[in-house]
Amino acid sequence: MELYLICEDSLEGIFTGIYEAYLMKRPHEEIHIQVGEEENLRLFAEYRHIVPDPGKAVKVARTIGQKFGSDGYMSVCRALASPDSLKGEAIYKMIVKGLLMKNPAAIMDNLANPDVLKVFELARFCGRETHLLTGFIRFKEMDNGILYSPIGPKNNILTFLMPHFADRLPLENFVIHDENRGLFGLHPKQKKWYVVTEAEGFKFNPADQPCSENEAIYSELFTMFFHTIAIEGRKNPKLHRNIMPLRYREYMTEYERHSTQLKHDNF
Amino acid sequence: MQIRISEEMPMMDKLSILADAAKYDVSCASSGVERKNNGNGIGNSAACGICHSFSADGRCISLLKILFTNECVYDCKYCANRRTNDVPRASFTPDEICSLVIEFYRRNYIEGLFLSSGIINSPDYTMELIYQAISKLRNQHLFQGYIHVKCIPGTHPDIIQKLGLITDRISVNLELPTAQGLETLAPNKHRKTILAPMRQIQQGIEQSKNELVTYRNAPAFVPGGQSTQMIIGATPENDYQIINVAENLYQKFKLKRVYYSAYINTVEDSLLPALPGGPPLLREHRLYQADWLLRFYGFQAAELLSEEKPNFNILLDPKADWALRHLERFPIEINRADYDTILRVPGIGTTSAKRIVRARRNGALRFEDLKKIGVVLKRALYFITCSGKMMYNTRIEEDYITRNLLTVKERLPFDRDGITFKQLSLFDDMNFQPPEIMARQLYDGQSVVLGQL
Repeated sequence: MELYLICEDSLEGIFTGIYEAYLMKRPHEEIHIQVGEEENLRLFAEYRHIVPDPGKAVKVARTIGQKFGSDGYMSVCRALASPDSLKGEAIYKMIVKGLLMKNPAAIMDNLANPDVLKVFELARFCGRETHLLTGFIRFKEMDNGILYSPIGPKNNILTFLMPHFADRLPLENFVIHDENRGLFGLHPKQKKWYVVTEAEGFKFNPADQPCSENEAIYSELFTMFFHTIAIEGRKNPKLHRNIMPLRYREYMTEYERHSTQLKHDNF
Repeated sequence: MQIRISEEMPMMDKLSILADAAKYDVSCASSGVERKNNGNGIGNSAACGICHSFSADGRCISLLKILFTNECVYDCKYCANRRTNDVPRASFTPDEICSLVIEFYRRNYIEGLFLSSGIINSPDYTMELIYQAISKLRNQHLFQGYIHVKCIPGTHPDIIQKLGLITDRISVNLELPTAQGLETLAPNKHRKTILAPMRQIQQGIEQSKNELVTYRNAPAFVPGGQSTQMIIGATPENDYQIINVAENLYQKFKLKRVYYSAYINTVEDSLLPALPGGPPLLREHRLYQADWLLRFYGFQAAELLSEEKPNFNILLDPKADWALRHLERFPIEINRADYDTILRVPGIGTTSAKRIVRARRNGALRFEDLKKIGVVLKRALYFITCSGKMMYNTRIEEDYITRNLLTVKERLPFDRDGITFKQLSLFDDMNFQPPEIMARQLYDGQSVVLGQL
């Protein structure tokens, strides 16, 4: 009989599920990991809820790190940040496959395997979105000097973004707000960064906090710079949409107003 | 010449003039330098480079690309800032540059600064002003992001030396591919004064690398390497000459990048070509493709073009063009061939070639696997076999393959996944349409019926 383990959508939840699956001592083909609640129940299948257990999750994480190396571990972590509901199953089956290989550290090279390919694709999507957002994030300066940036990524990438900006802006107080998940990455000046959630009662409404005086000046300067730097004879809207998808633009300063308006105001 | 530094001009106008004047400089890369923040300044640098935005022409905006001033004593024919051109002029002060960079950087608009300049008084005088601005940014504002400075030909070596220690990249523009072209269009610039600083920077980089091996904390000289830029289509050079120049620059001057910029009419001059069809963008594109072949695919310039065939094919990219002229080397077996051979197949790039070499250790690869790995099968299928078999029954003939490469959609019945097999079904004949006559009869019949009603 097929067995479905229903896990919480988190690193801890899925790793606990994988630990439990190995404990069952049943053929791995019969066990599946499902993330979140089931949508369609299958006939002749057993469903079991898995309670996340940090102790078990740590053991799985340690094994992945030791066997697959840091690259393999990072791929798994990135894949876990994906919104895809099949990620748990793909990671589980990839681990099973990898531990049977002669050289488990080369697991991510085995792209002919569908599960490895799935994890690879999810990790790549997450990695690319993280990379794009390290460039596309726009901070606004509040009148109390705090830099605030809302984002709306498809993957849960806040924890991948924070180290980059914490290193880059050590002397700034800044907040990155994942609007899709209600997460806040906070970085107090010269201290370590951390993440808080709306669920924990943290509230921050950008509308309550006015922008600083300089904010309007510099955002206008940049918007003007952005439009000036384009060469009229080389315009290429299709290419432009490919490399800077529209979904990022709603958060970007340079798209907030139109340049023509600006030019009339200032020249 | 009198220096006009207009203090009263609003920042908005200044930035507008000096960004507009800088936009024809192509380079905006911020890659090649990995540097962490030391904890008491602002900024770091990522080796992969980060694009912060893309302008409407599809070029990335990574650095704040501005001129220090667009005043200029030179009279280069192609340049909008030439002495004899009547344009509004402006200059930044070092403080203005610093505050712009820091405030833009804090808001994550930019990855760093790209500073070029027109020439006030003399190259040395201008470069000294630029040095002061950069020095202020690095030492007073403790800015640790990426800085790229354009070097003016004829600058004194001492200034380049001290500037190189606080910037990530210095570049000298070659401007035009040949010395002859330079003489006609840029009478104040000389090939010699362009190549001299290039050589100096190259030697400085090598020396600094050696020092870094011995002393870990020795200051790095131009750690991001140097690049250059040349204008394509303003002078009558052919593609063969241009890629030979590029190859020489890569081999003899160890350049990181050579940028090609399709000539755009900004100023009128009898010595410049008229371009009724717009800038030669396709030619520029082909040159970049060839440039990549030189840098990453192990090609030599002489393999791609020759005296007899001095220009690139408009219809085919240089790699496909090369492959079609060397069909005796194909097909190659994906599961056996070494990396360099796989790289020569059209439709396979460096990323897919690396993945193929790693993935085949776990078992023979099939065409479906290649598709997933990222190979562009519609181009590659004529040149490869998997376990001894070609994908389709295709011929290894130049005409046949050329025809198929050019009209991919019409020739082979590709599906979205590149696989042609399909489950037959009685009802999904895509090409089924009622014959025209029948349709007309049907229509007539209908109108008769309706008319009767």
